[in-house]
Amino acid sequence: MKLTKAGKHYEFQLSSREKDLLRHVLSLYPKIPAGYQRLSKGSSQEQNQQLLDDALAETRAKNRARLDSFLEHKHLKQEENGWHLRISREDMEWLLEVLNDVRVGSWLRMGSPEPPINNLAPEAAPDLWAMELAGYFQMAFLELLDG
Amino acid sequence: MAETATPDVLPGTIQEESRQDKSQLDPGYLVICWNDPVNYMDYVTHVFQKVFGWPRKKAEFHMLQVHEQGKSVLVKEILEKAEHYVHELQKHSLHATMERDE
Repeated sequence: MKLTKAGKHYEFQLSSREKDLLRHVLSLYPKIPAGYQRLSKGSSQEQNQQLLDDALAETRAKNRARLDSFLEHKHLKQEENGWHLRISREDMEWLLEVLNDVRVGSWLRMGSPEPPINNLAPEAAPDLWAMELAGYFQMAFLELLDG
Repeated sequence: MAETATPDVLPGTIQEESRQDKSQLDPGYLVICWNDPVNYMDYVTHVFQKVFGWPRKKAEFHMLQVHEQGKSVLVKEILEKAEHYVHELQKHSLHATMERDE
C-alpha cells in the first residue's frame, strides 16, 4: 500500500489484495455494541445517558450509510498496477474513526484481553485478525496525517 | 415609549428555571479519559488534538498521563460542553466519562 498527500487530498495505491482487505475491514463496522459507552462512572444520570446512547446510535447509523456509499466501487479506480483511491482529509479522519471502532469492538468481542494476547479460543481468531488489520490501516493513516 | 410589561410567568416557575440554569452553568464537570490496552497512543494523541484543538505537545502530555496514571482529566466544563466532549471522545471509541468535581 502506498499513501501520499497530494495538495488537500490523500491518494492510495492499493494492490487488489489490499483493496479487498480494506473493504472487508470497513464492512465490519460497527463492532462496538450499542450501550457499551457510559456517560459517567459515578452518579447515575439515566436521562443524560439515554441522550448519549441516542447520539451514538445516530452517529453509527450515519457512518454505516456513508460507508455503504463509500464501499461502492465507483470511489476506486482500477489502474494497471492495482487500485487508486483519492479522498479528502475529512474522509481520512472519518475512516480512522470507523477503523478504530472495528479495532476496539473486536477487542471487546474477545473479552477485552490484556496484552500480550495469548491462549485465545479458536473462535476468537476472526476478531483478532480484524483488530490487527484495522490497526495496520490506522497506523498507515496516522503516519500520513501526523507524520 | 414602551409600556411596562406585566410578567406572565409565575414566581415559582422562575425560581425553578434559575436553579436549573445555575446548575447547568456550573463549570464543575470533569471530562476524564481512562486507559485501555487497545487504543494506540498515536491515535489517542491525534483524537485529543482533533477534539480539543490542542497542540501536539499538550495532547501528548495528556495521552501519557492516561497511559502511565490510568486516567487524565482533560477539561473542566459546564454540563453541556462536558457532555459534548464525552460524546466526541466516545465517537472515536476512547474510554471517556464525565464526573462531577466534588
